[in-house]
Amino acid sequence: MCGIIGYAGYRQAYPILLDGLKRLEYRGYDSAGVAIVGSGLQVVKDKGYITHLEETSEPVPGVLGIGHTRWATHGPPSKENAHPHVDCAGEIALVHNGIIENHAELRERLEKAGHVFRSQTDTETAVHLIESHYKGDLEAAVREAIRGIEGSYAIAVIHAKEPDQVVAARNESPLVIGLGTDENFLASDIPALLKHTNRVVYVMDREIVVLSKDGVKITDFEGRRVAREPQRITWSLEDAEKGGFEHFMLKEIFEEPQAIHDTLLGRVAEPETDSFFKNGYTNIKLVACGTSYHAALVGKYVLEEIARVPTTAELASEYRYSRAPADRPIVILISQSGETADTLGACREANRRGCKTFAIVNVIGSSLAREASRTMLTRAGIEIGVAATKTFVAQLAALYLLAIRIGLERGTLGVEEANRLNEELRRLPRAVQAVLNEAPYIEGLAQKYAKVRDMFFIGRHLGFPIAMEGALKLKEISYIHAEAYAAGELKHGPLALVGPETPVVAIAVRDSVYEKLLSNVREVDARGAPVLAIGTEGDKELRKFVDDVVYVPATNPLFAPVPVVVALQLFAYHVARVRGCSIDKPRNLAKSVTVE
Amino acid sequence: MKAVILAAGEGARMGPFTASEPKVMIPVGNRPILEHVVRALAEQDVRDIVIVVGYRRERIMSYFEDGKPFDARIEYAVEGKQLGTGHSLSEARPKVQGEFLVLNGSNLLDHQAISDLIEGRHGPSVLITESENPSKYGVVLLSEDRVSKIVEKPREPIGNLINTGAYALDESIFPAIEALARQGKHDLPSAVEALSATKPVRAIRTKGMWQDALYPWDLLRLNAEVLKSVHSVKAGTIESGVTIRGKVSIGDGTVLRGGSYIQGPVSIGEGCEVGPQSVILPATSLGDNVRVGPFTLVENTILMDDVDVGPSCVLQESVVGMGAKLSAGVLAARGRATPQVEGEWHEVESVGGLIGEDTVLESGVVVEPGAIVGARARVGGNARLRGTIPNGGIVV
Repeated sequence: MCGIIGYAGYRQAYPILLDGLKRLEYRGYDSAGVAIVGSGLQVVKDKGYITHLEETSEPVPGVLGIGHTRWATHGPPSKENAHPHVDCAGEIALVHNGIIENHAELRERLEKAGHVFRSQTDTETAVHLIESHYKGDLEAAVREAIRGIEGSYAIAVIHAKEPDQVVAARNESPLVIGLGTDENFLASDIPALLKHTNRVVYVMDREIVVLSKDGVKITDFEGRRVAREPQRITWSLEDAEKGGFEHFMLKEIFEEPQAIHDTLLGRVAEPETDSFFKNGYTNIKLVACGTSYHAALVGKYVLEEIARVPTTAELASEYRYSRAPADRPIVILISQSGETADTLGACREANRRGCKTFAIVNVIGSSLAREASRTMLTRAGIEIGVAATKTFVAQLAALYLLAIRIGLERGTLGVEEANRLNEELRRLPRAVQAVLNEAPYIEGLAQKYAKVRDMFFIGRHLGFPIAMEGALKLKEISYIHAEAYAAGELKHGPLALVGPETPVVAIAVRDSVYEKLLSNVREVDARGAPVLAIGTEGDKELRKFVDDVVYVPATNPLFAPVPVVVALQLFAYHVARVRGCSIDKPRNLAKSVTVE
Repeated sequence: MKAVILAAGEGARMGPFTASEPKVMIPVGNRPILEHVVRALAEQDVRDIVIVVGYRRERIMSYFEDGKPFDARIEYAVEGKQLGTGHSLSEARPKVQGEFLVLNGSNLLDHQAISDLIEGRHGPSVLITESENPSKYGVVLLSEDRVSKIVEKPREPIGNLINTGAYALDESIFPAIEALARQGKHDLPSAVEALSATKPVRAIRTKGMWQDALYPWDLLRLNAEVLKSVHSVKAGTIESGVTIRGKVSIGDGTVLRGGSYIQGPVSIGEGCEVGPQSVILPATSLGDNVRVGPFTLVENTILMDDVDVGPSCVLQESVVGMGAKLSAGVLAARGRATPQVEGEWHEVESVGGLIGEDTVLESGVVVEPGAIVGARARVGGNARLRGTIPNGGIVV
């Protein structure tokens, strides 16, 4: 997972590249660098944030260049491993997002041929390979070289002797072109371009781009010209600014009522139906990674409860290792970015197995949206904080809508029952707002719990995936070791770890498993663990069993994960803040992971 | 020129409508009052805006962000403890230089009023307007066109020109604020009055629109004022047999069911569901995601976001806060009333029910004119409500 950028135009490339890289920092930020062709080829790179690079290096003159922000996969973060990488002659520079799978073999071959490697990265093999094919035409050399490369990549390459073009290629890693006037751009993602243009062209797999000041030429790997209409992006760069909030994460948490509202908009009174889910299957598989996987786990219960269809949730990175069942389930893939490599891979595998695929994504035109047979957009808006918040609740809202739709299409859900669910669904933004109003109280609790080393999260039924999500949020941004357990599993092991030093967060809303959960709370309480419960408004009983309670409004128990997770997000945020963590850019993590 | 908008206060007199959001975020004509102020400024090309926020500031910041959707550049200053308007303004001090405008975020004013202030200013200046009800405001006494005194809420009639809370000021105001703060006074009018002792402070009289909302029923006046300029927009789904007259704005994803009758000016937000057979009369605003059930009449009323009104209800001159749920047959008809707010009684010519956010009224509840139902209250079927029900109150 990395971010790349390229510029060809009339202005100084250096500030444009650095500014664009900052917009891509969510994709990785352990090292950064740029290469510019001005008077020859010059490369500036270092480990650390982009601002560090900016502070420690002098601007390089030139109007053509490429840049990179890295999230280490091969080789630790260091100056040597930072991109751009250059060839032996120091004439070709290359940036890369993705993974070159046959890099070891390529490296051995190239080293034998006399190429000298400076880094441990898979990427460096590509630049030497291009060098070995270079005969005065960079485009031809790139075209020749990628025949020998296996893996996923978006690359951008420049040559000291060809100061008017950037050559780029894409296979399974995102790449988008921005069209300007007398200047053109390319980048891994749109925010890097928006300051300069809102006219973009998506580059597809197995395509090569030649970017110059005056134009953009797209061809496929076989050399055939590709004509593609530019698209106009309607959201603005400022959508991505913090607007008074201390962190993007907090801003995005406070946008959750809007995100749910927008996701439900026009889909509640008039549900979208097209008989996709009507028949021809016996079960559904939900496939996702990370936070989206937790949405899938909630979705499993919700689909089974509302639509009465057997459903399983699976990690995208594991999906391919299961044998293709003969019954061909409908596969629903969930991803914020729609570019997550594992989820995209699972989608391709499902398509190959002849399953119908349905994607829930937040980004229009993303790879997953294009490759699945049907798509439902969560309309959460752009999310910058690395820890997913508003997109998670929007995914849940989408799953509720989808469950109602599937139930109606299959005829397993009555219209009256659907109307009642819809009515409750409409109230979700209010329920979330009510939790947001408790933010100052949760901030106070965070002070109390911020100093611990370990924390456990427990829940049952729908509370279990939400406990997992709560633990993940806490781990991601506060670096507290947090583990989630199905509350019933405590006595099968983890109870041995519980004591006064390990607070337990219990999801204890009023639902069918409430009583059972309370007995688990007593188990941990008996071992002296401080207990913070998330409970249902008005449940005064609960206070007797626990140390602290955050109350959330009563909802249909199926919808309770939404207000509960908002409380847990705020808790994680404030704990991280008290601990002084880098909330929007946690160490070692990247926003959407486009490597496997 | 920069403008500073004071928006830190809670607005306690707005009762249940400020339970979870600051007064400036209360919607009139389907937009927060503050948005009307921001837009009026942008219309006069005043686009650099500092908003001083405090109570529930996240609501303001997540709505306005950095100002881009409003063609403005918005920065925020935070007033931790809300002491008064002068103290509020001093929080913005690091963000202003030279001359700047100061506006109150909860006063509705039009671009004419702002242009009068900009054009007429000469050194520190205050915008004044004629009022029929000066005893509620700061009355400005003049010598020629200069301020000689500002008398807050005079008991005796001493004049009808009142301070609108809109000023053109410069850095000379800050020492005046500091001097008064040492005596424990934190309001801006006192500081302006003190300043007038050392240098001339011009009073500019505007005939532009200026409306203040002090009490919940004032919101209806502001709402009607804003709806005067509503545009006809027909998004969403309009089923056959719906009659639409006058100017009616209908948002995306809204469904108007058959047989409904809508007479503008009316503004209906996104994702609403109205009817079948409902009647919406002027001047009414429905926020986003509002449901109005069959056979329900809504007239001269504000229904904020996520309000759910059941079948066969009557709502006249009422204000219903976000997320409130009114079951079948709830009646809030208009009439003369003397509601009590913060210990004071008020004569109100004509008003319906004032129903707070997330309140639930079971079927058949009658809300008497001027009754104030607190936020998150629960009211059992067929109850008759008068006076004030506190926030979170339960009526069986």
